[in-house]
Amino acid sequence: MSPNLTLPENATGHPLRRRLMAAAGVLLLMGTYTALVLTQPAGLIDGLGQGVALATFAAYLAAAILLLAAVLPELPVATLTLIPVALALNIVLGQFVGSVMIPLYLDSLGTVLVGFLAGRRAGAATGVLGTLIWSLFNPTVLPFAAGAALVGFLAGTAARFGALRRPYLAPVAGLVAGVLVGVLSAPVAAFVFGGTSGVGTGALVAAFRSMGDSLLGAVTKQALISDPGDKAIVFLLAALLIYALPGRLTAGFAFVRRYRVLGRRGSR
Amino acid sequence: MSAGRDTVLRLALERFSYSGAEGDTLRDIDLSLAPGSLTVIAGDSGSGKSTLGAVLAGMLPRHGGDELEATLHLAGQEIRHTAGAGPRIDPVGWARQVGMLPQDARHYLSGVRETVEEELALGLENAGVPRARMRERIAALADRLGLHALLPRDPGKLSGGQERLVALAALALDAPPVLVLDEPLAGLDAAAAARVSALVGRLRSASTALVLLTRSRDRLAAGADRVLFLRGGSCHEADTAVAPRTATAANRRPLSHASVLLEFAGVDLGYAASAEPIVAGLDLRLRAGECVALTGPNGSGKTTVLKAAAGLLRPGAGEIVHRTNPGGSVGMLLQNPADQLFERTVHREVAFGLPRRGPEAARVPAVLDALGLAAAADTHPYELPASARRLVALATVLVREPMVLLLDEPTEALDAHGVERLHMALGAVLERGGAVLLASHDEAFMAAAAHRVHRLGAPGGIRA
Amino acid sequence: MPRTAPLHPFTVLALAAAVVATTTAAGRWWLSCTVLLGCLLLAVWARRARRLAGLAAAILAPAWGSQLLIHGMVDTAGSQVLAAAGPLRITAEGLRLAAELGLRTAVLVVAGLLCTLLIDRHDLVAAVDLSGAPPQLGYLVAATLSLLPRLAQRQRAIGEAQALRGAAAGAGPLGWWRRVRLRSVPLVLSALQDAADRSTHLAARGFPAAGPHTRLRSVPDSAGQRRLRRIAMACIVLGPLAVLAPTWMELA
Repeated sequence: MSPNLTLPENATGHPLRRRLMAAAGVLLLMGTYTALVLTQPAGLIDGLGQGVALATFAAYLAAAILLLAAVLPELPVATLTLIPVALALNIVLGQFVGSVMIPLYLDSLGTVLVGFLAGRRAGAATGVLGTLIWSLFNPTVLPFAAGAALVGFLAGTAARFGALRRPYLAPVAGLVAGVLVGVLSAPVAAFVFGGTSGVGTGALVAAFRSMGDSLLGAVTKQALISDPGDKAIVFLLAALLIYALPGRLTAGFAFVRRYRVLGRRGSR
Repeated sequence: MSAGRDTVLRLALERFSYSGAEGDTLRDIDLSLAPGSLTVIAGDSGSGKSTLGAVLAGMLPRHGGDELEATLHLAGQEIRHTAGAGPRIDPVGWARQVGMLPQDARHYLSGVRETVEEELALGLENAGVPRARMRERIAALADRLGLHALLPRDPGKLSGGQERLVALAALALDAPPVLVLDEPLAGLDAAAAARVSALVGRLRSASTALVLLTRSRDRLAAGADRVLFLRGGSCHEADTAVAPRTATAANRRPLSHASVLLEFAGVDLGYAASAEPIVAGLDLRLRAGECVALTGPNGSGKTTVLKAAAGLLRPGAGEIVHRTNPGGSVGMLLQNPADQLFERTVHREVAFGLPRRGPEAARVPAVLDALGLAAAADTHPYELPASARRLVALATVLVREPMVLLLDEPTEALDAHGVERLHMALGAVLERGGAVLLASHDEAFMAAAAHRVHRLGAPGGIRA
Repeated sequence: MPRTAPLHPFTVLALAAAVVATTTAAGRWWLSCTVLLGCLLLAVWARRARRLAGLAAAILAPAWGSQLLIHGMVDTAGSQVLAAAGPLRITAEGLRLAAELGLRTAVLVVAGLLCTLLIDRHDLVAAVDLSGAPPQLGYLVAATLSLLPRLAQRQRAIGEAQALRGAAAGAGPLGWWRRVRLRSVPLVLSALQDAADRSTHLAARGFPAAGPHTRLRSVPDSAGQRRLRRIAMACIVLGPLAVLAPTWMELA
């Protein structure tokens, strides 16, 4: 028997099962979000509130895991070794950068880097995985996995349509991503935890509440104030980091080559 | 045409170029390997030998990017790469025929397993080999290669030599008929180099065809069946590029009454975490115009002494006295240049942090010229070959004209030309009344560069 | 030395998930407190109590602060007003709500962290590899966990190297930006290069496994544990249903 030295020419496509899983994840996410916005459950602590908390938690987490399971088998090895690096960078750089400028989280730098270099699928997978692993150290982040997936997905989408070809486009894309992510994640903060993860953001929500907003409304407004700024800075930092990389390294990513992510910078 | 019976791998390469690169990295190379043979591919840093190794090991070309025009005969098959299109290489199938030990063995090891035994099993696990069978095969391999003591160790805490032994063992597990070894002895002390050479010898006697990529002709290369010299990406049968050894620092004697620039008096050094000091009772004087080498086995504290001299580490006991003139400084070249290079061009890198109109900034072109980097001033430091990259890191130190220059393993990653430039740079420092303290394994370099060699003892039985 | 029990990581995780789900659904302060106390006792047994308390406090203190501000300080609905000044309106109901939400978060955080402290990460990775999960998942988890300390150490080495070459950053926003650049560019550059170098060798070693894969490491398990896991999994769904169904009946 002669050994296999080469692979068949056509790459593996997207089997139906994975597509269905991805679609199910997105539908679950959108369905849960729509239901929460429409019903606006009021009681947080009586029977209804606990049911909503568990259902939101479970639905957001399940959606994120479905997306991960759909995407993971399609990623090439070069992306798979990139993801752990990005996740570690999320934490190491987040600590370093964040320790100087307190009001921002900047915990998605690595996720955005993967989105920029390897595309939206890889970005989304990185977001979910990062949340799963970070939950080992802080279990409260678990239901935010869907939001993290969206960050990576949007970073990849932005890069594909040229957000890295001009330095000023990256923060604009980040701003838009921040709005979407903030809106998507607000129900988790509101209905699962009844608050935010920090005192500063909590004070903001309290201020909106005292002006007569509903809990979801107040948390969403708070997210719309903090998230776009945070994501704009993260997108800008990630773009500047990528500009600092040597061309040989960035050209090693098929996604960068295929969509001319860096425009003329890349071909230089 | 198929490969002959006595040939396991045949390569007829016309050209190879990286994706987006302007010129060819390799051209016109013919190579055939017989079982149990040792082929040495010698060349300077940037000559293309690692690229050639990766082509042999099926790791290049990357599909849809690089361009390769070549025909390979391997395992009774002919694989033809043409300009526009080539076959997609199956990495697992190819690795069963040609194994590759990278220069940094940590790139081969996954780094995610708790013990060496689990690390060795990684390939078998991915192939779905049952647990009992895996244990058998690993035990048999450890018997054959004499590695039982390493099996329960944490792969993250191995020395450089042990990492290469483990990676070689993992490669040997599948018994590929061809192994490509990239600088397997670089950076190892004599004892570790002997162990790695012995293991390589065993693999060769088991009729593995070996390809050795090397900068210097070391003890392994001595037993070669064939030596190819690679320069600018093409092959030469004879070594036509012998670098002449120029006048070196050791030719000039320092004045015995010259002032002492740096003095260690009864110094104990260690890290807070460990109770035992790594270096105890060190006495050392460094005079103006003097070059002193520190040597000793891995883990004997050479780097620790240099860090203390640079002021990064406070001594646990004793005193370190700096007697440089005001304005004179201490500069240190670390082992790993990747830790400090961050600018987009070599010129900006070397000029970083210098006042724009100061005398130091004006010195940048001269320093680059002295180190042979003038042509690379506008290149990204990371796109330079390893040897030139190390010289860039040296330039960032030299541009400040330190009185005391500290060098950690300065010849590692340097090719013959780089070593020559280094000798000249050291001479210039001594000439203007500075002093050099360097840590190294490289006996030949120390003999040529240093006025005296200070030997540090083995650590207190910490390392195996 | 921390003490461990020969438990399958999934058993620990399934039990924790069941307990958290049921406790959250019940929403009784005494049950939550009992669970917290139980977790603490387990941590004491495992000799990890101090670590658990430290980690949990770091997460819970800001979360509790936020919940207190949002519900305790500016409650608009409660009738038993304890104090009111301008926009501030502190009511008994609001404080109760904040306390119950705080307990809900605390149960999740303490139980989750206890799992992390009890589970050996190599066992967890092996368990993931041996489960039906995609073969990529185990590697990604393991590689991230082993990279974290390495990158943190590298970050320190880079700081040292930059200090040695005399690359000072200065103060103010410009100094912050230069410091970020000095530290992060070499880190990202070398980390990405490293990842690229590793991937070819990992692929050569057969990763990710195309067919069925095995692990040399065996994870402690038993028939009893497997049964326990199935029961716990059922509890994750049935526990909340059993607690919540009666309330829904009343509402309907």
